[in-house]
Amino acid sequence: MSVDSVPANREFAKQLGITFPLLSDFKRTVVKDYGVFNEEQGFGNRATFVIDKDGIIRHIDEGNVAIDPTTAVDACNALTHKKASQ
Amino acid sequence: MYRRLLIACALLAVLCGSALAQQTPPAKTHLKVGDPAPDFTLRATDGKTYKLSDFKGKKNVVLAIYVLAFTGG
Repeated sequence: MSVDSVPANREFAKQLGITFPLLSDFKRTVVKDYGVFNEEQGFGNRATFVIDKDGIIRHIDEGNVAIDPTTAVDACNALTHKKASQ
Repeated sequence: MYRRLLIACALLAVLCGSALAQQTPPAKTHLKVGDPAPDFTLRATDGKTYKLSDFKGKKNVVLAIYVLAFTGG
């Protein structure tokens, strides 16, 4: 998800060969709700939220830390294993 | 599913990171682990609309926020 328009995201996806849909938060409502809106620059700062099936946040990476998805992957694996053990 | 998403996110992050010459300090979110994720409804590049709460009880969700997809200008 980014604050770019749908057409801008489409072009972005096309150039990178991304086949899954990208979300557009053009009105900046979601980045504000998630507390990652950068008012000076007008966009959402980089962040990754892992949300479980109950809608609860289980992991947060913010800023440059979010470039490396390793910890988010670990959080996903933990959720998957939790599911498997139930 | 996760793996595909995360690999793509990583790719996006790396590409955006290299494009972002001046790094701005990250805004600290007020959200914490254990908080309910704020619901949202957003349009996507496939023309569909996605709502977070539609996944409730069905799937875990990774919300990756990236910067500087081409801004068309």
